[in-house]
Amino acid sequence: MSLHTSHRALVGFAFFTYLGLTVLIAIVPAASIQQTPAIRGARSAVAEQGRAIYLREGCGFCHTQFVRDLPLDRPYGRPTVAQDYANENPPLPGTQRTGPDLSNVAARQPSDTWHLLHLYNPRAVVPQSVMPGYPWYFEEKAEAAPGDVVVPVPPRLVSAKGRVIVARPEATALVTYLLSLRQPELPR
Amino acid sequence: MVIVRKSEGFGGARRRGQDPTLQPSTIVDPVTVHVAFEYLTCATFWLLVGTVAGLLDAIKLNWPDVLAVPWLSFGRVRPVHTNTVFWGWSSMGLVGLALYVVARTSRAPLWSPTLSRVSLGLWNVAAAAGLVTLSVGVTRGPQEYREWVWPVAVMFAAGLLLNGVNAYMTVATRKIPEIYVSNWYILGAFCFLPILFTTGYIPFYQHGLGNVVIQGYYMHTAVGMWFTMLSLGISYYAIPLILGRPIYSYALGVLGFWTNILFYTLIGAHHFIFSPVPWWLQTTAILFSVGMMVPVWAGGCNLLLTFRGTSAVLQRTFSAPFLLAGIVAYILVSTQGTLEAFRTANMYWHFTNFTVGHSHLSMYGFVAFVIWGAAYGLLPRLTGSEPNAILVGIHFWLALLGYIIYVISISIAGSLQGLSWVAGEAFIKSVEAAEPMWLWRTAGGVLMVASHLVFAVNVWAMRPGRALAHAPVPPAAEAAT
Repeated sequence: MSLHTSHRALVGFAFFTYLGLTVLIAIVPAASIQQTPAIRGARSAVAEQGRAIYLREGCGFCHTQFVRDLPLDRPYGRPTVAQDYANENPPLPGTQRTGPDLSNVAARQPSDTWHLLHLYNPRAVVPQSVMPGYPWYFEEKAEAAPGDVVVPVPPRLVSAKGRVIVARPEATALVTYLLSLRQPELPR
Repeated sequence: MVIVRKSEGFGGARRRGQDPTLQPSTIVDPVTVHVAFEYLTCATFWLLVGTVAGLLDAIKLNWPDVLAVPWLSFGRVRPVHTNTVFWGWSSMGLVGLALYVVARTSRAPLWSPTLSRVSLGLWNVAAAAGLVTLSVGVTRGPQEYREWVWPVAVMFAAGLLLNGVNAYMTVATRKIPEIYVSNWYILGAFCFLPILFTTGYIPFYQHGLGNVVIQGYYMHTAVGMWFTMLSLGISYYAIPLILGRPIYSYALGVLGFWTNILFYTLIGAHHFIFSPVPWWLQTTAILFSVGMMVPVWAGGCNLLLTFRGTSAVLQRTFSAPFLLAGIVAYILVSTQGTLEAFRTANMYWHFTNFTVGHSHLSMYGFVAFVIWGAAYGLLPRLTGSEPNAILVGIHFWLALLGYIIYVISISIAGSLQGLSWVAGEAFIKSVEAAEPMWLWRTAGGVLMVASHLVFAVNVWAMRPGRALAHAPVPPAAEAAT
């Protein structure tokens, strides 16, 4: 039965060759390394909500969470290990670094006010930034109500004098998630 | 292959083009022609949608506050762009042509045109649902090319399986003993995508780092085992047909097929070099990335050598230059991919925009150009309707110039980013370094989108006209060529 004349043989051979290779190179390695002990405690419910917003807005298309053991990655923290991705569903190593790596952003930039301002309009804090702003997670009000998280937006970015910018729960959740991105110490 | 140029017992054709002898094919079942045309029409629609989305994201890197509304935000448009051009444009375009190639080289009508139309419906619904869900933020997160949530993915997979069955049954009912090499690639592709698609979506082995291993495998083989396979299969039919000469070496085509399966499948981990993914897996990926030179140079040069001494045809038609450009891009992009896999090169270029240039060189320079070349080469022979040659020329030069500007500028941007990072500068310096190149990239993108509008006009001009409806019924079996 020749592969040149038998469609059954040809398709069967191609199908099972590829399936076999898939099992060997992808499924078996993935299954064997997926169970690593977590070194990070579980996130708060609010931080998890923030992570869902991070996924929804596609932040991971420009920000990696993957520090390589290379000199150029030193500013972002220690090299990422398998345990860093444990319980992350999905893990967000990323393939593009249009913006900086965020594996350890909370250590680098611990201020929640900075993050809120940055999310409202990145150019308010980094003039050369090309990151999109997320003004829809904020509200412009005449005056703040008790319990409101007021964001100190520069007056030039507010539509009318005297009005205040208040963070919606989504914005504070996203900031809570970003501030949870702190690399835990590796167990010795 | 025989170039079908004349038919008997036929008159009153409405001719739009320049070839006075052009008539609809009399040896192909008209329903198969209609199905192929329907696929290409839908593909063209998604090409326009998908590339306008891409252009919008390019513009947003120049002017970040343009159209600042949630559903047009950069991070939401990005997966809309990639998934629409992958599963909408490229898949529909390639499969429309592939179904025709399968039927034609089997000397048999398409096994079930109805099945293919159902598949096309499913794919259109999936592409539309994918666009809407991703725009409103319903997503599986930034897992490239598998961002669609599972109900959308299931619809696409169902269409895929139906088309696979159809292609297989068409070959199974062939009127000649041999299976032409195009059908190796096409039937192969219909085996591989269901496997890799399913592997990408089943969650049991994808906790933590397991997900990263699957992501590398998935995004890499989606390109290599689906888009590349179909593009090569179509090239092995269209290039000899349009040039009117046999393929340089049939055996090299077969060698390319098997080595492509072996090497391409094993190299997904090269997307995560220096990661916690096991070192042996990364090294295997790098080694076989070098091995990829075998199928690429065997297949690419085989098709290239078929072009040897055909400058007359290249000057006379525009389909041949499209295909030639596509094959050249195939060789370039695959060689570039091998180089990028080396650890030193990876250090400079990984995470940078260089990757974006690489993916456009493959999905645009190679895949899109093959679709266009084959569409311009085959459709007029089938429908009897030709596009305006000048408009085809405008499409060619806008697309070629546009994507060359795009790829060169974005590759420079990527290199500047890499150099800035290695020099240890503040991160924002890499943004500033890339900014002027991003403007050039947008300029290239404008030309590319403009060329797609011209293509849409040309597709409409190639629609099956009255001529096809009146074409004589094809003979049951045609003498082997």
